[in-house]
Amino acid sequence: MTRTAAGSATGVRRRTAAAALVLGLSAVLAACGSEDGGGDSPKLSVSGAYVPQPPTPDMAAGYVTVTNKGGADDELTSVTTPLAAEVTMHTTTGTRMKQVRSLKVPADGELRLATGGDHLMLTNLTHKPKVGDKVSFTLHFASSDPVEIKVPVEPTTYRPKD
Amino acid sequence: MRTKSLGAALVTAAALTLTACGSSDGDSDKTEKAAEVSGGSKPGQAIVLDQPKAKPDLVLTDTDGKKYDLLKETKGKPTLIYFGYTYCPDVCPVVMSNIGIAEKKLSKAERDKLQVVFVTTDPERDTPKRMRSWLNGQGGQDFVALTGDFDTIQAAARPLGILVEKPKKEKDGSITVNHGAEVLAFSPKDDKNHWLYTTETTADQYVKDLPKIIKGQNP
Repeated sequence: MTRTAAGSATGVRRRTAAAALVLGLSAVLAACGSEDGGGDSPKLSVSGAYVPQPPTPDMAAGYVTVTNKGGADDELTSVTTPLAAEVTMHTTTGTRMKQVRSLKVPADGELRLATGGDHLMLTNLTHKPKVGDKVSFTLHFASSDPVEIKVPVEPTTYRPKD
Repeated sequence: MRTKSLGAALVTAAALTLTACGSSDGDSDKTEKAAEVSGGSKPGQAIVLDQPKAKPDLVLTDTDGKKYDLLKETKGKPTLIYFGYTYCPDVCPVVMSNIGIAEKKLSKAERDKLQVVFVTTDPERDTPKRMRSWLNGQGGQDFVALTGDFDTIQAAARPLGILVEKPKKEKDGSITVNHGAEVLAFSPKDDKNHWLYTTETTADQYVKDLPKIIKGQNP
């Protein structure tokens, strides 16, 4: 008899503890969610963009970092600029450079373009950009609104500091 | 007893919470650090070859439209050879510009000895005139640029471990390019390729290393 009573008491306690845990967790989720501004959509910010001064007036590269603090992936689908008639996106794997239609901006992650890796190729330039110039870029995404940025032209050998 | 368990449960839940929220931040920090380290502890330093490789017997056309015999022209001279193409917006200009910057910091005697030779991997599009303006646009006025038959260039690059492929047009019209981007440094002592540099090599690294290479010493 004594044993049974003790057993049932433990059962009650466990249920209470479980309820407390559930309450605690749901509060947590709400708190996290509000910080992220809704967990189900991408939340993008753009930084570190630059164009290295090209050696010839017909083509240039472009680099940018897109940070996604949201809970859903997005994709960079195109970039437009008054400097170039065409902007294409490329990935580099090992020694192989391949043109792609879009670049993924992962949820809670980033798309970082860099020399020797993913990059933008600007072709049919209107003029040769020079160090100190600012170039306007508009980044278009699969879900998020377009983002317009002013991109500085840096020396050909420029490397961003980490 | 019951109150204590509840309290403990709440504390546990709160701790879980903090961990859950914190973990996303922690993860992104880890990603950043992993990216920094992935380049190697000292990226861009000279790679010393255990088995030096022969300079290719290559006769091509320079930017004056004249025949250029690589073995004859660079015999007994410290030489950097780079296989690349001018319609390369990403790594090729970085590599050539870094060498261009470094070369200007050498003494005149050193500059006169050092031969910098750019060999196109895209002879269809890289005319002598285009290569000249491309090199001049990044401080390579005295660099040699060579073009010629694609198969000849590919065959010369292969034994040096430099992959050279023709740009390939994919079904969707996009272009895939596959080529190695190392800079090959040849000693003036034996005309052999002893050192490799990568796209990570900075102008400062070349400034430090080139005087030794010019003397045929390990940098």
